[in-house]
Amino acid sequence: MKKIIFVFSALFLLAHAGQAQKFFTRDAKIKFSSETPMEKIEGLNKSGTCVLDAATGKMEWKVLIKGFLFEKALMQEHFNENYLESSVYPNAQYKGQITNLNEVKFNQDGKYNVKTSGKLTIHGVERDVNMEGTLKVSNGNLEVLSNFVIKPEDYKITIPSLVKDNIAKEIKVVVSAVLAPLKS
Amino acid sequence: MKRRTILYVLLAAVLIGAVVGYQLWNKPHQDLAAAKTDVAVDATALYNEYNTDENAANAKYLDKVVAITGKVKEASKDPDGSVKVSLDAGSEMGVVACELSPFAKHTRTDFQSGEQVTFKGKCTGLNLDVVFVECVEAKQ
Repeated sequence: MKKIIFVFSALFLLAHAGQAQKFFTRDAKIKFSSETPMEKIEGLNKSGTCVLDAATGKMEWKVLIKGFLFEKALMQEHFNENYLESSVYPNAQYKGQITNLNEVKFNQDGKYNVKTSGKLTIHGVERDVNMEGTLKVSNGNLEVLSNFVIKPEDYKITIPSLVKDNIAKEIKVVVSAVLAPLKS
Repeated sequence: MKRRTILYVLLAAVLIGAVVGYQLWNKPHQDLAAAKTDVAVDATALYNEYNTDENAANAKYLDKVVAITGKVKEASKDPDGSVKVSLDAGSEMGVVACELSPFAKHTRTDFQSGEQVTFKGKCTGLNLDVVFVECVEAKQ
Protein backbone atom coordinates (compact mmCIF):
# COMPACT_ATOMS: atom_id res chain seq x y z
CA MET A 1 0.00 0.00 0.00
CA LYS A 2 2.80 2.39 0.98
CA LYS A 3 4.55 1.55 -2.26
CA ILE A 4 1.45 2.44 -4.25
CA ILE A 5 1.16 5.77 -2.46
CA PHE A 6 4.82 6.39 -3.15
CA VAL A 7 4.45 5.59 -6.86
CA PHE A 8 1.48 7.92 -7.10
CA SER A 9 3.42 10.68 -5.32
CA ALA A 10 6.28 10.14 -7.75
CA LEU A 11 3.88 10.34 -10.73
CA PHE A 12 2.34 13.47 -9.28
CA LEU A 13 5.81 14.93 -8.92
CA LEU A 14 6.62 14.03 -12.51
CA ALA A 15 3.53 15.85 -13.73
CA HIS A 16 4.61 18.95 -11.86
CA ALA A 17 8.31 18.77 -12.74
CA GLY A 18 9.71 22.19 -13.38
CA GLN A 19 7.30 23.90 -11.03
CA ALA A 20 7.88 22.04 -7.82
CA GLN A 21 11.35 21.04 -6.83
CA LYS A 22 11.78 18.53 -4.07
CA PHE A 23 14.96 17.73 -2.24
CA PHE A 24 15.73 14.51 -0.48
CA THR A 25 18.22 12.60 1.64
CA ARG A 26 18.39 9.17 3.24
CA ASP A 27 21.73 9.89 4.97
CA ALA A 28 20.82 12.63 7.45
CA LYS A 29 22.95 12.56 10.59
CA ILE A 30 21.20 13.05 13.90
CA LYS A 31 23.43 13.27 16.93
CA PHE A 32 22.38 13.94 20.47
CA SER A 33 24.38 14.40 23.61
CA SER A 34 23.67 14.54 27.30
CA GLU A 35 26.38 16.13 29.39
CA THR A 36 26.49 16.18 33.17
CA PRO A 37 29.45 16.33 35.56
CA MET A 38 28.83 12.60 36.09
CA GLU A 39 29.02 11.44 32.49
CA LYS A 40 28.72 12.25 28.81
CA ILE A 41 26.37 10.22 26.67
CA GLU A 42 26.25 10.44 22.87
CA GLY A 43 24.05 8.74 20.34
CA LEU A 44 24.44 8.96 16.57
CA ASN A 45 22.16 7.96 13.73
CA LYS A 46 23.35 8.20 10.12
CA SER A 47 20.26 7.11 8.24
CA GLY A 48 17.68 9.82 8.82
CA THR A 49 15.44 10.77 5.91
CA CYS A 50 14.19 14.18 4.87
CA VAL A 51 11.99 15.41 2.03
CA LEU A 52 11.79 19.15 1.49
CA ASP A 53 9.45 20.79 -0.98
CA ALA A 54 11.04 24.03 -2.13
CA ALA A 55 7.78 25.32 -3.60
CA THR A 56 5.74 25.09 -0.41
CA GLY A 57 8.50 25.06 2.23
CA LYS A 58 7.12 21.87 3.74
CA MET A 59 9.60 19.39 5.17
CA GLU A 60 9.41 15.94 6.72
CA TRP A 61 12.16 14.31 8.74
CA LYS A 62 12.11 10.79 10.06
CA VAL A 63 14.60 8.68 11.98
CA LEU A 64 14.52 5.12 13.34
CA ILE A 65 15.23 4.98 17.07
CA LYS A 66 16.97 1.61 16.93
CA GLY A 67 19.49 3.10 14.52
CA PHE A 68 21.09 5.29 17.19
CA LEU A 69 24.49 3.89 18.13
CA PHE A 70 26.31 4.51 21.41
CA GLU A 71 29.89 3.88 22.40
CA LYS A 72 28.73 1.81 25.35
CA ALA A 73 26.45 -1.14 24.61
CA LEU A 74 24.72 -0.73 27.99
CA MET A 75 23.71 2.86 27.19
CA GLN A 76 22.31 1.75 23.83
CA GLU A 77 20.32 -0.95 25.58
CA HIS A 78 18.90 1.41 28.21
CA PHE A 79 18.12 4.05 25.59
CA ASN A 80 16.07 1.56 23.56
CA GLU A 81 14.46 -0.50 26.30
CA ASN A 82 13.91 1.91 29.18
CA TYR A 83 13.85 5.44 27.84
CA LEU A 84 12.70 5.64 24.22
CA GLU A 85 10.93 2.25 24.24
CA SER A 86 11.89 1.76 20.61
CA SER A 87 9.89 -1.44 20.19
CA VAL A 88 6.68 0.49 20.92
CA TYR A 89 7.72 3.81 19.32
CA PRO A 90 10.07 2.82 16.48
CA ASN A 91 10.69 6.28 15.03
CA ALA A 92 10.83 9.99 15.70
CA GLN A 93 9.70 12.57 13.18
CA TYR A 94 9.41 16.25 12.49
CA LYS A 95 6.83 17.69 10.10
CA GLY A 96 7.56 21.35 9.61
CA GLN A 97 6.93 24.35 7.46
CA ILE A 98 9.52 27.00 6.59
CA THR A 99 7.99 30.28 7.77
CA ASN A 100 10.43 32.63 6.04
CA LEU A 101 10.35 30.90 2.65
CA ASN A 102 10.45 34.19 0.70
CA GLU A 103 13.98 34.81 2.05
CA VAL A 104 15.35 31.56 0.59
CA LYS A 105 16.48 31.34 -3.03
CA PHE A 106 16.76 27.65 -3.82
CA ASN A 107 18.16 28.27 -7.30
CA GLN A 108 21.01 30.50 -6.18
CA ASP A 109 24.09 29.55 -4.14
CA GLY A 110 24.03 31.14 -0.72
CA LYS A 111 23.51 30.55 2.97
CA TYR A 112 20.19 31.29 4.62
CA ASN A 113 18.85 31.27 8.16
CA VAL A 114 15.67 29.28 8.06
CA LYS A 115 12.81 29.38 10.53
CA THR A 116 10.30 26.57 10.73
CA SER A 117 7.32 25.65 12.81
CA GLY A 118 5.81 22.22 13.03
CA LYS A 119 5.21 19.08 15.00
CA LEU A 120 7.95 17.01 16.57
CA THR A 121 7.05 13.47 17.61
CA ILE A 122 9.33 11.51 19.92
CA HIS A 123 8.37 8.54 22.13
CA GLY A 124 4.83 8.77 20.75
CA VAL A 125 4.37 12.32 22.08
CA GLU A 126 3.60 15.02 19.50
CA ARG A 127 4.48 18.63 20.33
CA ASP A 128 4.24 21.94 18.50
CA VAL A 129 7.72 23.34 18.14
CA ASN A 130 9.64 26.08 16.36
CA MET A 131 12.98 25.03 14.91
CA GLU A 132 15.69 27.10 13.33
CA GLY A 133 18.66 26.18 11.24
CA THR A 134 20.85 27.16 8.34
CA LEU A 135 20.32 26.10 4.77
CA LYS A 136 23.19 26.43 2.34
CA VAL A 137 22.44 26.15 -1.36
CA SER A 138 25.55 24.77 -3.03
CA ASN A 139 25.79 23.32 -6.57
CA GLY A 140 22.11 22.53 -6.58
CA ASN A 141 22.23 20.66 -3.24
CA LEU A 142 20.97 21.88 0.12
CA GLU A 143 23.23 21.60 3.16
CA VAL A 144 21.07 21.75 6.24
CA LEU A 145 22.30 22.23 9.79
CA SER A 146 20.25 22.65 12.92
CA ASN A 147 21.05 22.69 16.64
CA PHE A 148 18.29 22.44 19.19
CA VAL A 149 17.53 21.24 22.66
CA ILE A 150 14.85 18.84 23.87
CA LYS A 151 13.75 18.02 27.39
CA PRO A 152 13.08 14.31 28.03
CA GLU A 153 10.18 15.15 30.38
CA ASP A 154 8.39 16.98 27.53
CA TYR A 155 8.19 13.65 25.71
CA LYS A 156 7.20 11.59 28.74
CA ILE A 157 10.61 9.98 28.92
CA THR A 158 11.07 9.16 32.58
CA ILE A 159 14.54 8.94 34.03
CA PRO A 160 14.77 6.78 37.18
CA SER A 161 15.80 8.83 40.22
CA LEU A 162 18.84 6.59 40.70
CA VAL A 163 20.45 7.94 37.51
CA LYS A 164 18.79 11.33 37.27
CA ASP A 165 22.09 13.12 37.99
CA ASN A 166 23.76 11.20 35.15
CA ILE A 167 21.37 12.36 32.45
CA ALA A 168 21.02 15.99 31.44
CA LYS A 169 17.71 17.81 31.83
CA GLU A 170 18.30 19.27 28.39
CA ILE A 171 19.53 17.04 25.58
CA LYS A 172 21.46 18.77 22.79
CA VAL A 173 20.59 17.63 19.29
CA VAL A 174 22.49 18.33 16.07
CA VAL A 175 20.96 17.52 12.70
CA SER A 176 23.07 17.75 9.58
CA ALA A 177 22.18 16.65 6.10
CA VAL A 178 22.88 17.21 2.43
CA LEU A 179 19.68 17.12 0.40
CA ALA A 180 19.92 16.41 -3.33
CA PRO A 181 17.25 17.27 -5.89
CA LEU A 182 14.77 14.43 -6.21
CA LYS A 183 15.07 13.15 -9.77
CA SER A 184 11.79 12.77 -11.53
CA MET B 1 39.07 -12.90 65.08
CA LYS B 2 35.43 -13.36 64.16
CA ARG B 3 35.02 -9.65 63.54
CA ARG B 4 38.00 -9.71 61.20
CA THR B 5 36.46 -12.57 59.18
CA ILE B 6 33.24 -10.62 58.74
CA LEU B 7 35.27 -7.62 57.61
CA TYR B 8 37.08 -9.70 54.97
CA VAL B 9 33.84 -11.18 53.71
CA LEU B 10 32.30 -7.72 53.42
CA LEU B 11 35.38 -6.38 51.68
CA ALA B 12 35.34 -9.29 49.22
CA ALA B 13 31.62 -8.73 48.54
CA VAL B 14 32.18 -5.02 47.84
CA LEU B 15 35.12 -5.82 45.58
CA ILE B 16 33.19 -8.43 43.60
CA GLY B 17 30.26 -6.01 43.32
CA ALA B 18 32.54 -3.29 41.98
CA VAL B 19 34.16 -5.63 39.43
CA VAL B 20 30.80 -6.96 38.22
CA GLY B 21 29.40 -3.41 38.02
CA TYR B 22 32.43 -2.20 36.09
CA GLN B 23 32.23 -5.11 33.64
CA LEU B 24 28.52 -4.58 33.10
CA TRP B 25 29.13 -0.86 32.55
CA ASN B 26 31.80 -1.63 29.96
CA LYS B 27 29.94 -4.52 28.40
CA PRO B 28 31.08 -4.71 24.76
CA HIS B 29 28.68 -4.51 21.84
CA GLN B 30 27.47 -7.88 20.64
CA ASP B 31 30.04 -9.58 18.41
CA LEU B 32 27.85 -10.16 15.38
CA ALA B 33 30.53 -12.01 13.45
CA ALA B 34 30.50 -14.70 16.13
CA ALA B 35 26.78 -14.48 16.98
CA LYS B 36 24.36 -17.15 15.87
CA THR B 37 22.12 -16.05 12.99
CA ASP B 38 18.48 -15.90 14.09
CA VAL B 39 17.04 -15.47 10.63
CA ALA B 40 18.49 -15.40 7.10
CA VAL B 41 16.73 -13.56 4.31
CA ASP B 42 17.18 -12.17 0.81
CA ALA B 43 17.20 -8.34 0.47
CA THR B 44 14.35 -8.21 -2.05
CA ALA B 45 12.17 -10.60 -0.03
CA LEU B 46 12.79 -8.59 3.16
CA TYR B 47 12.01 -5.29 1.46
CA ASN B 48 8.77 -6.72 0.06
CA GLU B 49 7.77 -8.07 3.47
CA TYR B 50 8.30 -4.61 4.94
CA ASN B 51 6.23 -2.92 2.29
CA THR B 52 3.43 -5.46 2.59
CA ASP B 53 3.09 -5.46 6.38
CA GLU B 54 5.50 -3.31 8.36
CA ASN B 55 4.31 -4.47 11.79
CA ALA B 56 4.60 -8.15 10.91
CA ALA B 57 8.09 -7.58 9.49
CA ASN B 58 9.13 -5.64 12.59
CA ALA B 59 7.94 -8.50 14.80
CA LYS B 60 9.98 -10.90 12.72
CA TYR B 61 13.25 -8.98 12.33
CA LEU B 62 13.75 -6.30 15.00
CA ASP B 63 16.28 -7.10 17.74
CA LYS B 64 17.37 -10.24 15.89
CA VAL B 65 20.68 -11.17 14.34
CA VAL B 66 19.74 -11.15 10.68
CA ALA B 67 21.84 -12.49 7.80
CA ILE B 68 20.90 -10.42 4.78
CA THR B 69 21.97 -11.39 1.27
CA GLY B 70 21.76 -9.22 -1.80
CA LYS B 71 23.44 -7.53 -4.73
CA VAL B 72 25.37 -4.32 -3.97
CA LYS B 73 23.65 -1.37 -5.62
CA GLU B 74 25.93 1.30 -4.25
CA ALA B 75 28.47 1.73 -1.45
CA SER B 76 29.38 5.02 0.14
CA LYS B 77 32.13 6.02 2.53
CA ASP B 78 31.83 8.99 4.87
CA PRO B 79 34.73 11.37 5.55
CA ASP B 80 34.77 9.86 9.06
CA GLY B 81 35.39 6.41 7.56
CA SER B 82 31.95 4.92 8.13
CA VAL B 83 30.60 2.77 5.31
CA LYS B 84 27.05 2.23 4.14
CA VAL B 85 26.25 -0.45 1.57
CA SER B 86 22.94 -0.36 -0.27
CA LEU B 87 21.59 -3.72 -1.39
CA ASP B 88 19.28 -3.84 -4.37
CA ALA B 89 15.73 -4.62 -3.25
CA GLY B 90 14.14 -4.82 -6.69
CA SER B 91 12.60 -1.36 -6.26
CA GLU B 92 13.31 2.12 -7.55
CA MET B 93 12.01 3.60 -4.30
CA GLY B 94 14.15 1.97 -1.68
CA VAL B 95 17.00 -0.37 -0.87
CA VAL B 96 18.16 -2.42 2.07
CA ALA B 97 20.77 -0.13 3.62
CA CYS B 98 23.52 -1.75 5.68
CA GLU B 99 25.69 0.44 7.92
CA LEU B 100 28.97 -1.32 8.69
CA SER B 101 29.56 -1.61 12.42
CA PRO B 102 31.82 1.04 13.96
CA PHE B 103 32.47 -1.40 16.83
CA ALA B 104 33.89 -4.29 14.77
CA LYS B 105 36.97 -4.92 12.65
CA HIS B 106 36.26 -5.47 8.98
CA THR B 107 38.24 -7.57 6.55
CA ARG B 108 37.34 -5.05 3.85
CA THR B 109 35.39 -1.83 3.48
CA ASP B 110 35.31 -1.61 -0.32
CA PHE B 111 32.36 -3.10 -2.12
CA GLN B 112 31.74 -3.12 -5.86
CA SER B 113 28.29 -2.56 -7.27
CA GLY B 114 26.85 -5.76 -8.69
CA GLU B 115 28.62 -8.16 -6.35
CA GLN B 116 26.69 -10.54 -4.14
CA VAL B 117 27.27 -10.12 -0.40
CA THR B 118 25.89 -11.34 2.91
CA PHE B 119 25.94 -9.16 6.00
CA LYS B 120 25.02 -10.01 9.53
CA GLY B 121 23.45 -7.06 11.30
CA LYS B 122 20.61 -5.67 13.35
CA CYS B 123 17.43 -4.54 11.65
CA THR B 124 16.20 -1.11 12.79
CA GLY B 125 13.02 -0.95 10.69
CA LEU B 126 11.60 0.79 7.62
CA ASN B 127 12.39 4.41 6.81
CA LEU B 128 11.90 4.37 3.01
CA ASP B 129 14.81 1.92 3.06
CA VAL B 130 15.00 -1.01 5.43
CA VAL B 131 17.97 0.00 7.56
CA PHE B 132 20.48 -2.34 9.21
CA VAL B 133 23.14 -1.24 11.70
CA GLU B 134 26.21 -2.88 13.25
CA CYS B 135 26.74 -4.94 10.09
CA VAL B 136 29.68 -7.25 9.51
CA GLU B 137 30.30 -9.25 6.34
CA ALA B 138 29.45 -12.90 6.88
CA LYS B 139 32.11 -15.44 6.01
CA GLN B 140 31.21 -17.49 2.99
